Amino acid sequence: MTTATATSPVRTEGRSRLNEIWRIVRLHCVNPSIFFGVPWIILGGAWAITVVIAIILTSAGAPVDQVLEGFRYSWAVLSPQWYLVAVGVQAIAFTFSFALGFGTTRRDFWLGTSAMFMFVAVEMAAAIATLVQIEKATNGWWVGAGMFDTLWYGQEGWLVDFYTSFALQMFVLFVGAGVTTIYMRWRMRGMLTLVASVIVILLGAIAAITAADGWMGLWEWFASIGIVGGFTIVLGLALVCAVGGYLVIRRATPR
Amino acid sequence: MTATVASAKGLTKRYGSFTAVDAVDFTLEENRIYGLLGRNGAGKTTIMQLLTGQLFPNAGELEVFGRAPAEHADVLRRLCFIAESQRYPEDFMPAHVFKAAPWFFENWDAAFAERLVADFRLPLKRRIKKLSRGQLSAVGVIVGLASRAPMTFFDEPYLGLDAVARHIFYDRLLEDYAEHPRTIVLSTHLIDEVANLLEHVILIDQGRILLDRDAEEVRGSATTVAGARAAVDAFTADRPVIGREGLGGLASVTIDGRLDQAERIRAAELGLELAPVSLQQLIVHLTGTDLAGSTEQEKAA
Repeated sequence: MTTATATSPVRTEGRSRLNEIWRIVRLHCVNPSIFFGVPWIILGGAWAITVVIAIILTSAGAPVDQVLEGFRYSWAVLSPQWYLVAVGVQAIAFTFSFALGFGTTRRDFWLGTSAMFMFVAVEMAAAIATLVQIEKATNGWWVGAGMFDTLWYGQEGWLVDFYTSFALQMFVLFVGAGVTTIYMRWRMRGMLTLVASVIVILLGAIAAITAADGWMGLWEWFASIGIVGGFTIVLGLALVCAVGGYLVIRRATPR
Repeated sequence: MTATVASAKGLTKRYGSFTAVDAVDFTLEENRIYGLLGRNGAGKTTIMQLLTGQLFPNAGELEVFGRAPAEHADVLRRLCFIAESQRYPEDFMPAHVFKAAPWFFENWDAAFAERLVADFRLPLKRRIKKLSRGQLSAVGVIVGLASRAPMTFFDEPYLGLDAVARHIFYDRLLEDYAEHPRTIVLSTHLIDEVANLLEHVILIDQGRILLDRDAEEVRGSATTVAGARAAVDAFTADRPVIGREGLGGLASVTIDGRLDQAERIRAAELGLELAPVSLQQLIVHLTGTDLAGSTEQEKAA
């Protein structure tokens, strides 16, 4: 038989692209602890430690306001981010292979995964921005514990806290997933090329700025764009990873 | 006539200098059970990954349900392929797999899956990483059977399954196939176990197809002739010999092709014994060491 096939592809009614993307979101949620459970266990643990430290300090006689100020540089609020990079990696390294076996396209898998990342980022950002407000209202959970109202948080209101958390969360998830697509497509050779390229670009940028004596100007520029401007750059990087991941995963192969 | 659901022409997949699949041609027809047979590393899984769009061919043409499978949702949603070394999402349990399956397979039969879980005594709430090899195979077998995908792949389904579980797979597959005909591609190197299940055999070795034939034909296609060495040699002199063994003055030679009535009578007159060759024996002859040895000699010559 020389002609290719006798059966022509038939589309079934009621199966829209949206459904094929949505089922990827559901697949990521089949085990909800991965995206929604563990990050809050980590945050909850960090919060408990912060509260205990605050109680120890205040019961030793330190004034609540000074204790609260001392927590300003605590990184506890960022504790789930390391885990969420790994979640981004695993979404591609494991779930991608599985979804291909279940007959999804790479395109729909990436779009569904991106949607999932966006939901997670909105959820985390809304929760953290709200917790910042609660912490301020209760003057550090009534014991002077500063967990959320730290670093850049709590200075410009709920909306800015939401936006910066959202940008950071998107970046964390997409950088893990995007880099893993490079591994899934070109394996070790791709990873080494990526690492080498990043090093070359960074060194090149440092050399160029130093040669032009531009460090002062750069810091001034960073100061001028402010918190919102800085995190817009972070969100931009997340977008680069998202678009790059989409292009790379289209020819990636499962392990 | 039956419809062709997949066709490959000159299909090639290379990994660096290693050619895993070397310019193979084959077609798969609707509602048949295919056996993709061959030794470990022969290229069986690679062919299945190409057919399911998981790998991209380096050369050749491949059409599944009318188009190249990779990235075509309307083709891919008719396929089901759980690889022998399938990776599952982090912390997944069999229960998660069966919960997600109906979103991906429109013909998914949950009741059938439940019955199979009981048949295979598969623990639903144990992490996939902690399952035994046989239980892991059972997950793939259950998804493959209950998905009722128009083209279903079973990659080494027998790996680690005990005798009872192998029998269950065999029975359930034939029962369900009779009720819901579909194209099934089953890869294995445990040939005798599946020999009676297969309707068509594709034998692959070192990335090339050695045999692509109806299973019924293959079963009667080779004969072993045994007896005194001189008589055996005389009888098999101008026939295609695919295997030869000897001990002292006795010889046993396997020849390709059927013997007709006159030839059988002549063999009996010469005092030779004729024995049918099982699928497994035939494949050992075709892919075994003596053949590999001869090709190496050819290369050296």
